[in-house]
Amino acid sequence: MTLELVTGNHAAGYALAAAGEANRFARGAACGIYPITPQTEIVEYVAKFPFSKGRVIAVESEHSAMGVSIGAAMAGARAFTASSSNGLAYMTENIMVAGFYRLPIVLAAVNRTLGPPWNIWADQGDTLYLRDFPCIQLYCETNQEVLDSTLLAFRLAEDRRILLPVMVIMDAFILSHTQTETDLPEQALVDEFLPPLSLPHRLNFDHPATIGGLTWPRETLSQRVEIDEAFERVPAAYEEHRAEFRRLLGRDPGGAISAEATEDAETVLVASGTIASTAREAVRQRRRRGERIGFVKMKMFRPFPGEALLQACPNARKFGVLDRDYAAGLGGVWWHDLRAALQGRRDGAIVQGYLTGVCGGDVTPDMIDEVIDDLLERRSAGKPVWKGIDR
Amino acid sequence: MQEIRIHGRGGQGGVTLAKIIATTRFLKGDSVQAFGLYAAERTGAPLQAFCRYDGEAITSRNLIYEPDHVIVLDPTLVGPAITAGLKPNGWILFNTERFPYEFAEQFPGYRVATVDATSIARRHELGTRSVPIVNTALAGAFARLLDFDLESVRAALEHLAFRGKNFDAAAEAYERVVIVDDIDRAGAAPRRAAPPTSRVRGLVDGGGSERPAILTGQWATQQPRRREWTPPCNHVCPAGNDVQGFLQALALKQTNEALEILLRTTPFPAICGRVCPAPCMESCNRLSLDEAVNVRELERYAGDHGRCFLRPHTFRAQQIAIIGSGPAGLSAAYHLALLGYQVMIVEGGPALGGLLRTGIPPYRLPRDVLDREIERILDLGVEVVLNTRIDRRRLFDLASEFDAVLVATGLQELRGLDLGSTCEDEIVLQGIDFLDRANRGEMRVDGERIVVVGGGNTAFDAARSALRLGARSVRIVYRRTREEMPAIAEEIDEAIEEGIACDYLTLPVRIERGGSEARLGLICRRMQLGEPDASGRRRPVEIAGSDFRVDADRVLLALGQSPDLSVFPEGTEVRDGDDVLGLLQTPVYAIGDLATGDGTVAAAIGSGRRAAQGIHYVFSAEDLAPLPMRPEEVIRSGAMKLHLFESNPSHHGMSRPAEERRFDQQEVHAGLADPSEAVRCLSCGVCNECDRCVTYCPEGVLKRVGHEFIFDYEYCKGCGVCAAECPRNVILMARL
Amino acid sequence: MSAAPQLAQAPLACSEECLMRPGNTNCGGCGMSVGLTFLSRALKETGQTCQLVIPACCGIVTAGGYPTTGYSVPVLASTFASAAAFAAGAAAVRDLNGESHHVICWAGDGGTYDIGMATISAAAERNDNILYICYDNEIYGNTGGQRSSATPIGARTTTTPSGKIEGKKDIMAIMAAHRIPYAATLSIAHPDDFTRKMKTALAMTGFRFLLIHSPCPTGWKSEPGESIELVRLAVDAGLFPVYEVFDGWRYRINVRPRGGDVREYYRRQNRFPADAIDFDAVRAEIDRHNERLARLAQVFPAAE
Repeated sequence: MTLELVTGNHAAGYALAAAGEANRFARGAACGIYPITPQTEIVEYVAKFPFSKGRVIAVESEHSAMGVSIGAAMAGARAFTASSSNGLAYMTENIMVAGFYRLPIVLAAVNRTLGPPWNIWADQGDTLYLRDFPCIQLYCETNQEVLDSTLLAFRLAEDRRILLPVMVIMDAFILSHTQTETDLPEQALVDEFLPPLSLPHRLNFDHPATIGGLTWPRETLSQRVEIDEAFERVPAAYEEHRAEFRRLLGRDPGGAISAEATEDAETVLVASGTIASTAREAVRQRRRRGERIGFVKMKMFRPFPGEALLQACPNARKFGVLDRDYAAGLGGVWWHDLRAALQGRRDGAIVQGYLTGVCGGDVTPDMIDEVIDDLLERRSAGKPVWKGIDR
Repeated sequence: MQEIRIHGRGGQGGVTLAKIIATTRFLKGDSVQAFGLYAAERTGAPLQAFCRYDGEAITSRNLIYEPDHVIVLDPTLVGPAITAGLKPNGWILFNTERFPYEFAEQFPGYRVATVDATSIARRHELGTRSVPIVNTALAGAFARLLDFDLESVRAALEHLAFRGKNFDAAAEAYERVVIVDDIDRAGAAPRRAAPPTSRVRGLVDGGGSERPAILTGQWATQQPRRREWTPPCNHVCPAGNDVQGFLQALALKQTNEALEILLRTTPFPAICGRVCPAPCMESCNRLSLDEAVNVRELERYAGDHGRCFLRPHTFRAQQIAIIGSGPAGLSAAYHLALLGYQVMIVEGGPALGGLLRTGIPPYRLPRDVLDREIERILDLGVEVVLNTRIDRRRLFDLASEFDAVLVATGLQELRGLDLGSTCEDEIVLQGIDFLDRANRGEMRVDGERIVVVGGGNTAFDAARSALRLGARSVRIVYRRTREEMPAIAEEIDEAIEEGIACDYLTLPVRIERGGSEARLGLICRRMQLGEPDASGRRRPVEIAGSDFRVDADRVLLALGQSPDLSVFPEGTEVRDGDDVLGLLQTPVYAIGDLATGDGTVAAAIGSGRRAAQGIHYVFSAEDLAPLPMRPEEVIRSGAMKLHLFESNPSHHGMSRPAEERRFDQQEVHAGLADPSEAVRCLSCGVCNECDRCVTYCPEGVLKRVGHEFIFDYEYCKGCGVCAAECPRNVILMARL
Repeated sequence: MSAAPQLAQAPLACSEECLMRPGNTNCGGCGMSVGLTFLSRALKETGQTCQLVIPACCGIVTAGGYPTTGYSVPVLASTFASAAAFAAGAAAVRDLNGESHHVICWAGDGGTYDIGMATISAAAERNDNILYICYDNEIYGNTGGQRSSATPIGARTTTTPSGKIEGKKDIMAIMAAHRIPYAATLSIAHPDDFTRKMKTALAMTGFRFLLIHSPCPTGWKSEPGESIELVRLAVDAGLFPVYEVFDGWRYRINVRPRGGDVREYYRRQNRFPADAIDFDAVRAEIDRHNERLARLAQVFPAAE
């Protein structure tokens, strides 16, 4: 293992390209790309990559970037793309198509505040708003996790039992533009981890199907139920591929959730993305002071790992959820989903939401401390608490 | 609450029907719903629409699974789905021209009504021909069933801003709907209908490539049918030739096949190809586009260049005598011999051919051509007796010796003209006699001024022959105009080219002797055209005081001929193809000009063939006659899609220059160099496999295998493109 | 047409061999159906095959209800704006794998002139190796007949109830401006020319654009059987110029207008309100457009 100093974007770009290159003995790789800050470096990396059997098409919009990748995937290639913020919003219609067409496309997404106004800083709202589409979402905390998760994403997406697109997500600038030491595995290793793709329903003349034509309610329902069943298989499949990753590459790409000190904790702080680093450290400080508080990092957002979280926190009665996002009229999306996951499973539990670092503000240890103080003192849950702004 | 389910097809207005019924109730204060089961309906696709109404507020938001009544917009939708869930005693209203009794048995326990809404819609011009919109008519009929008054339908239609003819259709259907409601109430067995819940194979598992299960042919309201017509050329051909048939063969450069088609009806294609006035060309639909197809020259081409010999297939012992060897007699001999009969021709003159030989000059009909075509007949084993005239007694002898006798002696009586002066022999001659002698080389008119009286082919043949026999000048006097001249137009043109003068509207009155260096003067009177006569031609009327003199050395009369019936008993009525004598054993037919007076070779050929077929019928009871052609089956230019064809000029055969040809008997025309003129034949009303129908069929459900066109009615939607695009109107749309 | 009978014509594609299967749900007399049978024939005669990418339009409804399909080749339905992008991806992978089938976009005017414009423009500018065929029925037919930028002046649609005020977008000029190898207009009323140009397009690589004037009896409110005749009238009158453009600048007129009466074309379609069309203006616009094309063809002729 050789560590190199690279940005999160570089890590993602490397992983996408190496995964594409790994399919050179099958039908190759192809994708559509389109720039948007702060993900541009990812597609730049991909565009420069000397694929043995790959084609990168620079298109006129995110919508078409995903469109090209869908066409490529449908033709049997390993396909991917990347975007951010309003680019994802513009791409949305085709992200949905990738899911409904059961295409194992990997989408590297860099979280950036949806505009207007013009704001380029980290906010998870641009990916979380895609929550209802058939797309697995993985949120990353480090550059290494971005790289590892991206490789893992291909293997998971292409699993015959799954066949769903996967979004690998990182925070704008905090990961995307931050240089840290990262292992970029050799191509041979990537080749070994990612077997050639064979899409069962790719366009072919032996079986001239019309993909996506007029479909009546019952027939469409059949397809939706299949998607639901695929999502149900994701947690187990993820663990299998995670184990294989660990075996081949010698490190853990991380679970759907990562719990720390939660076994006995009555109070648990929940976070995702880079905030997890800050929050974990704050919880460790409290633990050292003897406070019975635990920490859970959420990596997987879809399917929502509520069951895993409950199992990891058998004694927790109080959950504080840090959201770097704001769903209008509701609050944090993580908080909302976690609350729903606990419904009827842990009676009397308090689930309190905290809106931290929304619209790209820095989430400092002090801010987390305030959150923990608030959480520990609470006797009941209230409205989501805005942090980083006077109210 | 009342619930109504409507079964229809896209484009028929099913959802609108639901809306009309709902509106009718809405205006009466009911709570209503009208809705369709929406997919991406296409014209003709089955669809369902629903209507419910109630005095109370409606809370249901479901499809209707157990309707009180059902309306079926399209009779092809009749099936189990119609009554799925239908409550007993409910109405089923069918749009069909059939009677409800036919459905009552199929749907026991229900009240059944029928109305021909499609015809009503078409009558009121609702929708298009292929997709009539039947909803307003059915709204009227349904109102009758449920005792809504007609005025409430009117109010609903007005509320929905439908135009007047929609109400007219509704009112007509209200009156016309036929009802059966004396039903056995016990028969209804409603089946609950609910959406199916079984799963369908998904995309990943290979779904999505199954063949469509829809038989779209059931959507059709009309279907294409092939229907061929009689081309006008075939219809008018006096010889009965398949003109269109041989032209199409020539168009494919199949000259031998073309000749074979001709030889089935005529022994004389090379002759008719030179001398026929070609009524086919006058009736040619191409005249409405540019010029007639040059059928005459093409027939000649086939006759001159084709190689084909027809042979009798059987031997028949009956012996038939034919009196006269003009075209009618020869045609009869030919067809009888082809049928296997034993034929003997009795000719009064020294050679076969009748007027073909005596009346038509060699520069129009070379003798080798004539001999060749006669040889074709003799090759079939026809016996010939020459120089034998048949009188009345000999006719009866022949009738007793032979199994049948045909009399084809033609027109022997020549019409004369009283010119008020007895003429020396040879000064006033019958044109026919002149031609006969000229054709035998027994006549010269060196240096003479020749005047020919008449406007038919004989007049022109005589005039042009006179020129070739040394005449100093030749002029034709004719009492009408060129328009009325019966001679072939090309002959007239050529005569004028050769220097023959024509005096139209000129009536010869008398002959005057002397008075100039000419032997005589023909006093003529100017005419003008008056009212049309019985033949439709404008009658020439004399202009008083307009007499003038034409110098002449000889006058040739070409005023027509009439039959000599002296061979028959007094008072015998002669009709073409009829047994004239009525003898018990032996049919005796008069044929050709003798019977028809027509005077054309083509008519004589046709007469001869019909007589042969008539005799064959007498002997064998086998009817060979072509089906009688009714005039309405002839396709006229208006029924052809002429705009689909390019306009291009006719090919005319080459002629020798007038200054060269006028002095000899060599043939004037060289004929066509190739048969490409035949490509201009439009093949009116007869499919020639242009395959436009196949090309344009939007569904690809029309194909041609060999010469057969196959419509796949299981899938044909009845759009009518094939019929609309057929340039020759061979496909018609039949309403279903 | 010549009046001549046909000799030794190859047996035409029967229903079984067609790209479009019997049992499809297109309306009777649909011009798109004719176009598909012509495309099918051109492919068959050149021994080729294709995959279709079809955005929202009647062409995707042709497939009928899942799990059945009205097409005998693989079809990928795209989002409305994305046909050219989906096709670009599929074509890239085809080329990567050395496969020979065509990737053909089969799209209506809405997906081409309107919502798909940016995508098509981009694919054309990149000269992606796809054949883009727009069957232009001048209306949003699938949604029940709304105006598109291909709807001609005067036409009544559900969103232009008194007739469209604006003229039709000159998409050929737009496509030519991309300097793509080949752009051509095709009329189903001229099958030989249609097939020849279809084969020309099939023999080329890069972005090729074909525009088919596609009669829609439902939307045009015309007699289904008259579909071919209508577009023939449009060609005769010069309303639909039939021409091809090579590399965006070399022009060739394929069918010269015969000077037909444009009124007849309008009269036969109920979509055009009677007496609401300024025929002099229409005629002048037609003449101007054809004159411009004729001059281009004269000054910048396509090599034979």
